[in-house]
Amino acid sequence: MSLSADLKKQILQNIDRVVSAGAEYTDARFYTNDDSETLFLYDGNLEANDTNFESGLGVRVLYGGAWGFAATSDAKMMNACFDQALQNAITAAKLVRVPLHMAKKPGHTGHFASPLKQDPFTVPLKEKLDFLSAIDARLKEDWICKRYVYAEFQKKNIFFFNSEGTQVERNLSNVFAKMMVMALDTDGQMQRRSQELFTTGKGTRGYEMLTQPELFSTHAERIKDELSQLIKADALEYGKRSVILLPGQGFLQVHETIGHPLELDRILGYELSYAGGSFVDLDSFGKLRYGSDKLSVSAFGSIENSPGSYGFDDEGTPERDYLLIDKGLLVNALSSRPMIDEANQKAGRTVFSESGGAARATAFYRAPIDRMTNVNILPGNDGTLADIIASTKDGVVLDNPVSWSIGSNREHFHFSTEIAWEVKDGKKTRILRNPSYQGHTVEFYNSLSAVGDASTWCVYQVDNCGKGEPNQIMQLGHGIPVVRFDNVITGERK
Amino acid sequence: MQKNKAHEMICAVRARAAARGINASFSLHREMSHLMRIGNNSVSLNTSENLTRLDIEVINGRRTGSHTQMGDVTSEEYVEKALQIAVDKAEVASPKDYQPISVVVEATVAENAQYDQSLEHLDPAFKADAYQQIIDNVGAAYNFSGSWSSGSVELFLVSTANDMTMHHLATDQDFNVVLKHPQKKWELRQCKSGWRLEHFDVDDVIEGFRQLLPTYEDHAGFKLEPGEYTVVLGSSALAEVLMMACYTGLFGRSYEEKQGWTSKNKMGDQVLGTNINLVDDPAEDKTFRFGFDMAGKVRGNFPLVKDGVMMNLMYDTMTAAKYGRQPTGHTGGSPSIVMKPGSASPDLLEAVKGMGRVIYIPALHYLNIPNPSQGVFTGSSRFNAVLVENGKVVSPIFSSRITDSFQNVFGNVRLISSEAESVNLSNTYGRRAPEAASMPSYIVADKVKITDSADSF
Repeated sequence: MSLSADLKKQILQNIDRVVSAGAEYTDARFYTNDDSETLFLYDGNLEANDTNFESGLGVRVLYGGAWGFAATSDAKMMNACFDQALQNAITAAKLVRVPLHMAKKPGHTGHFASPLKQDPFTVPLKEKLDFLSAIDARLKEDWICKRYVYAEFQKKNIFFFNSEGTQVERNLSNVFAKMMVMALDTDGQMQRRSQELFTTGKGTRGYEMLTQPELFSTHAERIKDELSQLIKADALEYGKRSVILLPGQGFLQVHETIGHPLELDRILGYELSYAGGSFVDLDSFGKLRYGSDKLSVSAFGSIENSPGSYGFDDEGTPERDYLLIDKGLLVNALSSRPMIDEANQKAGRTVFSESGGAARATAFYRAPIDRMTNVNILPGNDGTLADIIASTKDGVVLDNPVSWSIGSNREHFHFSTEIAWEVKDGKKTRILRNPSYQGHTVEFYNSLSAVGDASTWCVYQVDNCGKGEPNQIMQLGHGIPVVRFDNVITGERK
Repeated sequence: MQKNKAHEMICAVRARAAARGINASFSLHREMSHLMRIGNNSVSLNTSENLTRLDIEVINGRRTGSHTQMGDVTSEEYVEKALQIAVDKAEVASPKDYQPISVVVEATVAENAQYDQSLEHLDPAFKADAYQQIIDNVGAAYNFSGSWSSGSVELFLVSTANDMTMHHLATDQDFNVVLKHPQKKWELRQCKSGWRLEHFDVDDVIEGFRQLLPTYEDHAGFKLEPGEYTVVLGSSALAEVLMMACYTGLFGRSYEEKQGWTSKNKMGDQVLGTNINLVDDPAEDKTFRFGFDMAGKVRGNFPLVKDGVMMNLMYDTMTAAKYGRQPTGHTGGSPSIVMKPGSASPDLLEAVKGMGRVIYIPALHYLNIPNPSQGVFTGSSRFNAVLVENGKVVSPIFSSRITDSFQNVFGNVRLISSEAESVNLSNTYGRRAPEAASMPSYIVADKVKITDSADSF
């Protein structure tokens, strides 16, 4: 959906007006549409058949070193919305000890569209339901108690303007899907196996991604088979051993203990009262051995097909491919323009040379904050999953999160997963249930002893990362190979 | 109830839909939200959002469809268009193997008992000034961050089943401020919650910090080794754990599907200690009160656990329809969970005087459920956590993880404070959704498992 010439003119006039009133910087995001559709089959019953349509304007004003923001879903209230944002900034400027700035940038124009062949919103509902119902039918067995097949489609058309003259249009599309089966184990406890729609990082992300069998539907039989073994399995015993994380678990490990701690606004203390801080500080960059030399982590990673690939962030900055961790050494953060300016001021040196293009807002009615883009472990040289298992003396292979709990500064964590495969003397021996592991972030990543090659690498999509006040849900991706960590506490102490 | 054009338009479309034999419900959610965030002793964000959402659900036999449209309701055509989207979706939907329960507005309700105009229209400068006072009085050498959300929510619910209407208008606020020592890194927090502006008192916040600071300034952090401890959970930590226990054990869905920690029990079984009493009480003013749910059911006092015995489960309409139960007023909206206070002194240090070493954990971070069937939860200490010996605060503790079961923690409660506190549980993901619980200011539980700790706060 395009933005009318009249609305564009009004937005630009209002930006000029606010700057004339003394604003250092102003930007506006107009969403002509922000649509989502959710379909959820539970035991074959269509429990969610929902659409949500939103449109509106969000305005951000920097005045006197402080931000004001206002949003409206009514385009007729545009002038008032700009006035409110300015007034909010003026009020905020009354309490400024550390003035915020946007380093001056020349304006630019740009356009980004998620690569797609078929817009999911043009696919008839019946066709989508038939597709999901067919997967549900494949999951059905007498011994399975619960079946779950879910898909969500998102489409956003966003027009960005700022007082530097930048104008960017983005047409973003996302497709998320998940299937799950559940059954009671020998102790009467519910066990589950699941699979999410993932990507290879290549290709397009329209409806066609969902219907590519190898990315989703063919996993139905595998998760059923694994669940049938899981419900008869022994529980994982407490002890220290190696853990081999498949990408279905590795993505969340990276998300919680690399992605979040490296958000620059957290590092600077802006999330302390809600999502928490970070054990990383400005002195850590270039010094902290975050992990072993097998650990290299990128932001964005030039991945074509991911919810974390969006062309330009919500400050109009082009998304950028760079390393966060280089052979174990912490070198950069996920950042936005005002945060790098503040960080450099605070450090008294140039810690960050340019914005990471990571200022993101969940909707027109939220202001952008520092978020993850794609945060990826780069493939290593330790071969395939089979190779890594073969070189493991005592360990477990773990897949898919059940629970995750992280310390408030991301310094320690506890995860439980759906399934474990015991590994003894280089061989998978049996399936184990109720697996969990815990550790301390830096110690854990320094115990990284194997990183799978490109054949083990894929992109897991995250559709519900929560952060910020007012709260914001964000979509992003993680490109992850198979990884092994040694000497990890697994299971629960009796 | 005040005449409202949007309500009238919705009612007009409702009447026409009913005449056409459409089974539909319409709910309007309006919010006026304001949030000020501070970081590094400055206002970092000052936001205003005025948003309106119209939710429409249609039941066509055993088929359902729903649609949400954001934007001001400016005409009947606007409502008709949104209705048609939901009608079309229901038409194509696959039928369920049970009959969905229609939204039936049980009674005309107009409630605004928790509405404070001065909070709804609070000048953001008031917030900036309060934060300034806190920083100036406690000490600008510390690093302050925090947020203060305030605003109003209006709900309007009708359905084609009858002409009755339900209307809710209320205000809420959630204030917090975190003080972090720039070198020693410990974090202290003060919170305020309520529906009236007067529920915030800046002097209380300043005094709260002043009481805590000496312990932190004068003592190094203490690292707990894994093991069993007598633990005092403050109201915030208690609410977090109890809400998780409710979601996984006292909602019909988790129970019926044998996914929760109560699934092997039946009504009347002892599931928690005999001194634990839980009720959903929408009349409790320490909670954000919703007198009806989004299925049109009038909500009332609803006992969940009495003397540790499971009394009732909370059923939404979908779960009730699927499992042949009666809905209980828990379809959408926010419950008002109340844990009944005990008889212990509100003065925590006085209460634990003879107990030797106890760990006081006022707040927990990032709670989750590694094993819902066993009722196992895990989370770590955060803000103001201290080691107490014989009624005296000895030192702050480093970030420590509890991994234990609901049954163990709430089966070993030795003391329950006689004082109740309001704990704000609201979120603003998507739409403004106020929720609060009324909790004793603390409980003392024995044999609580600490499973890990950091070397830092």
